[in-house]
Amino acid sequence: MGRTIPLPMLILAVLGFCYMLLPILVVVLAGLTAGEFLTFPPEGLSLRWVVAFLQSEKYLSAFFFSFRLALLTMIVATILGTAAALFLSRTRFIGRGAMRAFFLSPVVLPGVVIGFSLFAFYISTGIGLTRTIWGLWIGHILYSTPYVIGTVGAALASYDVSLDEAARSLGASPMRTFRKITLPNISQGIQAGSIFAFIVSFGQFEVSLFLSAPNAEPLPIAMYNSLRYKFDPSAAAAGIFAIILVTASVLLTNRLVNIGRLLEKK
Amino acid sequence: MSSVEFQGVSKKFGGTVAVEKTDIAIEQGEFFSMLGPSGCGKSTTLRMLAGFIAPTTGRILVNGRDITDLPPEARGIGIVFQNYAIFPHMNVFDNIAFGLVERKQDKATIKRKVEATLAQVGLTGYEGRFERELSGGQKQRVALARVLVIEPEILLLDEPLSALDKQMREEMKFWIKDIQKSIGITTVYVTHDQSEALTMSDRIAVMNEGRMLQIGSPVDIYEKPSSRFIAEFIGDSNLLRASVTELTDTGCVVDLGEGVAVPARVSDAVSVAPGEPVGLLLRPEMVRLMPAHDGEKPRLSGKIVDEVYQGALRRYRVAAGTHELVVEVPNRPELVRMAAGTPVDLFWSAESGVAVP
Repeated sequence: MGRTIPLPMLILAVLGFCYMLLPILVVVLAGLTAGEFLTFPPEGLSLRWVVAFLQSEKYLSAFFFSFRLALLTMIVATILGTAAALFLSRTRFIGRGAMRAFFLSPVVLPGVVIGFSLFAFYISTGIGLTRTIWGLWIGHILYSTPYVIGTVGAALASYDVSLDEAARSLGASPMRTFRKITLPNISQGIQAGSIFAFIVSFGQFEVSLFLSAPNAEPLPIAMYNSLRYKFDPSAAAAGIFAIILVTASVLLTNRLVNIGRLLEKK
Repeated sequence: MSSVEFQGVSKKFGGTVAVEKTDIAIEQGEFFSMLGPSGCGKSTTLRMLAGFIAPTTGRILVNGRDITDLPPEARGIGIVFQNYAIFPHMNVFDNIAFGLVERKQDKATIKRKVEATLAQVGLTGYEGRFERELSGGQKQRVALARVLVIEPEILLLDEPLSALDKQMREEMKFWIKDIQKSIGITTVYVTHDQSEALTMSDRIAVMNEGRMLQIGSPVDIYEKPSSRFIAEFIGDSNLLRASVTELTDTGCVVDLGEGVAVPARVSDAVSVAPGEPVGLLLRPEMVRLMPAHDGEKPRLSGKIVDEVYQGALRRYRVAAGTHELVVEVPNRPELVRMAAGTPVDLFWSAESGVAVP
């Protein structure tokens, strides 16, 4: 303590916070408006649009569809991402760097490109994934897995391999060593990665735009579709619930995992 | 039958040779050190023995059993790592019990053995502690206990003292040696610290660039090194330019130039021939330094260049003809201090000088 932040930096930090938080505030307030339309500032406060959201078949099913999709995406992305991170950190071969970059490329590629590529791929190969739940799921997994690779990779980078060697030498098989020694010590990275995967999938828009099935819209697509035709504050109310869900999952993980410590160890 | 045997073992990583073809036999109960600078292949050799690296050629035998193709978990070899590798998510008890749990021993037996081992390493009462709550020396004891509890056939120690501060290192040197002796376990010790190797070992293998240059007792290695590299790597050394003039029963006679001929010993591991240029190794503590006076004929005469005060010792640099050497003098009041420029005579016994090729 006792460390003071220079004033210019403090001002920058405050501005940065405002920049990030104001849109959220706008959405929350807009969702609590008493008026007919999505406006800011809201015309008085009420819960009518929150109630409307809770009574809307369309929004509720989209919300829970997104929740299930994010959950299933998280499970697969966590397994695949952890396996990939282990492979990348434990093997040495020519082209490993290129492979790593390739695995992480969905993070830097625009979502539109991934969505469109997959869409075109599904259509041109005719493998029956175009605009199906399965096709959408695959897209979300592709998009979320790099986040798991990233965080688990960071955890493995600071992992001391002699722990594994010690366990092996003491009589543990490779599988037992992984389960009893490696896994518990990189679990923070895995948990952080899986929560990232969940959040990324839950909020995914561009990929979903190309891949979602007409009868099963994720929440961002449902909000987009509804706002296209009607400037309806219930979309903002849906946004409130999305924010609550994501915030809750972050807070929950933060209790389980110290993300800050994980990133620091890198 | 040797406890550990390397038969023509070598290791290549890609195109580079990490360990050249090596044959070693380590006896039951022996404390065997591999000593060398970093990158000399000592760790690679140890890791081949532990089973973390497969040799490129050759076989490794433990008590006559070929273990070359066995995975680490099937070797019954215990290893203590440089950073101890204490499992951070387990307390001291579970760390030490790990090997026993993997051997599926029953709870009561595990408890009894862990407690006995904890007592042996002097950590009774530390069962519930975690790695972060242990000092360096305590981690070391846990690491050793974790290995000893499974009663391995061979104990491997990979630079186990290098992470400790100097005082603790001195203490642990003797402690490890005591435990090793009391159990009588064959031990392979890897270090780059010559004083650790000299203090603890029954035999030392000095390694450089993937080769074992000399294998011998600490006395052999220190007093009769077989090469310049060893002479300079171990202890402080003066290497005077000399050439062999004749061979004798005890070694040879070397010429230091200007008609000065002195006897020298030679390591059994090498041979020298008359006319061959060699280095005459003189350890700084083996040379006697006196102000020049008439009487007993000195081996060399010269002048003091400077003096460095080191507490227990005074180190003089002496210029003698074309040679310059360092001489250590015990710091006793009756030994006169000599200022720079003082003419001095140098004496040493016939056994002190060693000719190294």
